[in-house]
Amino acid sequence: MKRLLLTAGLVLAAGSAAAETEIRVHYAIPTIWAETQEALAEAFMEANPDITITIDGPAEGYAEGVQRLLRESVAGTAPDVAYVGLNRWRILEDRGLTQPLDGFMPEDPAAAGYTPALLSLGQFEDTQHSLGTSASTLVMYVNPDLVEQAGGSMDDFPTTFDGIIELAAAIDALGDTIEGVWIHRHDWRFQSLLGSHGGRPMTADESDITFDDDAGLSAAALYQRFASEGGMSSMSQDDARQAFPAGTLGIMFESSSLLTRFVEGAGDGFDVTVRALPVVADDPSTVYFPTGGSGIVLLTDDAERQQAAWDYIAFVTGPEGQRIIVENTGYAPANSIVLDDEAYLGAYYAANENARVAHSQVAQYAGPWYAYPGAEGVAVTDLIAAALVEVTEGADVEGTISTLADDLRDRLDMQ
Amino acid sequence: MIRRLATDLLLAGPAALAVVLFIFLPVAVVFVLAFTDYLVGAPTAEWVGLENFEELFGSRLGRNALINTLIYSAVVIPSSVILGLLVALGLHGITKRMPRVSAVLRTVYFLPVAATLVAMAVAWQMLMHPSLGLLNHWIAALGLTPQQWLTDRGLVLYSLAAIGIWQGVGYNMVLFLAGLSAIQPTLYDAATIDGAEHGWSRFWCVTWPMLGPTTLFVVIVTAANAFRVFETVATMTDGGPAFASDTIVYALYREGFVYFKAGYASAITVVFFAALLLLTALQIALVERKVHYR
Repeated sequence: MKRLLLTAGLVLAAGSAAAETEIRVHYAIPTIWAETQEALAEAFMEANPDITITIDGPAEGYAEGVQRLLRESVAGTAPDVAYVGLNRWRILEDRGLTQPLDGFMPEDPAAAGYTPALLSLGQFEDTQHSLGTSASTLVMYVNPDLVEQAGGSMDDFPTTFDGIIELAAAIDALGDTIEGVWIHRHDWRFQSLLGSHGGRPMTADESDITFDDDAGLSAAALYQRFASEGGMSSMSQDDARQAFPAGTLGIMFESSSLLTRFVEGAGDGFDVTVRALPVVADDPSTVYFPTGGSGIVLLTDDAERQQAAWDYIAFVTGPEGQRIIVENTGYAPANSIVLDDEAYLGAYYAANENARVAHSQVAQYAGPWYAYPGAEGVAVTDLIAAALVEVTEGADVEGTISTLADDLRDRLDMQ
Repeated sequence: MIRRLATDLLLAGPAALAVVLFIFLPVAVVFVLAFTDYLVGAPTAEWVGLENFEELFGSRLGRNALINTLIYSAVVIPSSVILGLLVALGLHGITKRMPRVSAVLRTVYFLPVAATLVAMAVAWQMLMHPSLGLLNHWIAALGLTPQQWLTDRGLVLYSLAAIGIWQGVGYNMVLFLAGLSAIQPTLYDAATIDGAEHGWSRFWCVTWPMLGPTTLFVVIVTAANAFRVFETVATMTDGGPAFASDTIVYALYREGFVYFKAGYASAITVVFFAALLLLTALQIALVERKVHYR
C-alpha cells in the first residue's frame, strides 16, 4: 500500500505537466490480487506516463464487488474499468453498464494473443463485453502417497473416469479417516463434467436448457458413482479444502487457481500433483471446460477516458501484463502469446510442472462459464447445486435432472 | 417559552431527524419495494402487487426457509432459556460459599456472548470437521459412528441449533442472575415460616414467580435472536446442503445480495419485521398485565 501511494505520488509529481487522464480501477479479492494490481498499475504507468491509474479499495470477493459496482453505477460514481468474476460480467451487461470493446480490438485479435477460445470468455451475442485477465479450469489434485499405498502408480495414473472411480475406491478403503475422491456439488463443476462429455448447459441463443441430454445425464451420474462406488462423502467445500492439504483425501477435483494454496498447505507432507480432467467425448473438438477467474470490463462512457482505459485493458490482457498476473497469482494466462513464446514464462513453467499441466488445459479447452440469463440467473445455480446433492445421495439421476431442467426453463422463462 | 421550545428542538431535533432519515425513510422504501420486482442496479421496476409474498409463503424454497427457522427456534428457545436458568441458579447458589469460583464460571459462560460469532463459527467448523475435527475423534473414541455435522441434510440444522444454544446460555444466565439477586431475602424467610423449607418448594413458591418478568424478557430476547439466526448459517453452511439450513434471514440475504432480487428480499424483510413487531407488542402487553406483582 505504501509503495502504491508512493508511486502514485511520484507519478503525480513527475507527470503534473503530462498526466491528463486518470483511470479508476476496481478489483476484488485483495488476498490474491493486492500486490499484482500494484505491480500492474506501476508497470502500466511507466509505459504510459500520461495516464494515471487510481485503484479503488478492493472488494472482499467477486460477489461483493459486483454489488458495489451496481450501487456505484446507480449513484453515478462507478469506476472506469473493473475486474469482475468471469461468470458475473453478464450481470453488468444485463443492466447495460458494460461498454462494448469491439471498436477498440486489434484488426487481427489472434495475432495479439486473443484466440477465439479466450475471446469467447467475454462474448455475448457477437459483442465483446469483457476480456479475460486470469483463467482457471477444473483439474484433479492428486496425493501420490495415497495413490501408491492403494496400489496405484502416478506413471500409470488413470485417464478415464472409470479408472479414477476404481482408484478412489481403493484409496477410500485405506482407512476410516482417508477419503478417496471429492468434487463440489456446484454449477461450475457440473458444467466442467458436462463439457468433458461434449455437452452444453444451454443452446447458443440461450433459449433452452440442454443439460438434460445424454451428456448431462452421464455427467450427473458421475456424481452418483463417485459417492456409491468411490465412497465420496458429503464433506463441504471448506472441509475438503482442509482435508486435501492435510493428506487425508486422495483425489480432489478443484479449480486450478488453488494450486499455490494447496502446495503451501501440504508443505513437506506430500507432493501435490496436478492431472488434467479426463475427456469423455469421442470428438475432442466438442469438449470445453468452463473457465473461472476474472475478466476486465470497460464502464466509462466518456470517449476520451475510454481510449485511455482501453490502453490499460490492452496492457493487462497483453503478454506483459499477463506475465505479471501469472507469476504473482498462479492463475493461467488469458493471452496465448505468453504460452507460445518461451521468452515470457519459459523459466516459470520449467520450475512449475503442475502449472504447465493446468495452464495448457486452459489453452486447449477454455470455454465460457455459462451464466443463466435474466433475473433468476444466479438463483438457479443454487437449484442445480441442490439437485446434485440429491443425485449424490442416491436420487434417480434421470428424474432429478429432467425435473431440474424443467424447473429452470420455467424460472428462466424459456417456454 | 419560545426559547425553551427552541432549546428542546435543538436537543431532540438532530437525533429525531437522523432517525427519520436513516431508519424510517429506508424502511418506507423497503415497504414500497416489497410490492415490486426491482433488481439491484436495474433501471426500472414493475409493480407486482402481492406476488413476492405469494412466493415466500407459496414456493417450496420460501416455505422451507420459514419452516427451518421455526424448527431452529423451537430447539433453541426452550433449551437456552432452561439451561440459562439452571446455570444461573447454580452460580447464584455457590456465590456466597465460593465467590471466586462463581466469578470465574460466570466469565466462562459469558465468553461466547462477548466473542464475535463469526470467529467462533470458524472454530466450530474446525471442531465439526468430518475427518479432522475433534468432535468426531471423541465420538470415534467412544465407539460411536462419526457424523457429518454440517453436511448431513437431516443433521445440519440441529448442529447449528447447538451452537445457537451455546451462545444463548451465557446471555440468559446473566439476565437470570440479575433477576435472582433482585429477589428480597425476606420472601424466603416468609416462605420458611410458611413451611417451604427446601429446594423445590422454595423455587416453586418464591424464585420462579419472582423471576416472572425476567423470564418473559429472556424468552422474548431469545426468540428474537433465534428468528434472526444468520452468522452461523452464512459462515458455516451457506444455507446448504441443498437448502437444508436455509433460514429466513439467510434467505433474505441470499435473495437480495446474491441473487440481486431486491423486491423479493424486501418482501421477506417486511414479513420478518412484522413478526418481530408482533413479538415486541406481545411482550409489552404481557409485561403490563400479567407478570408484575404490585
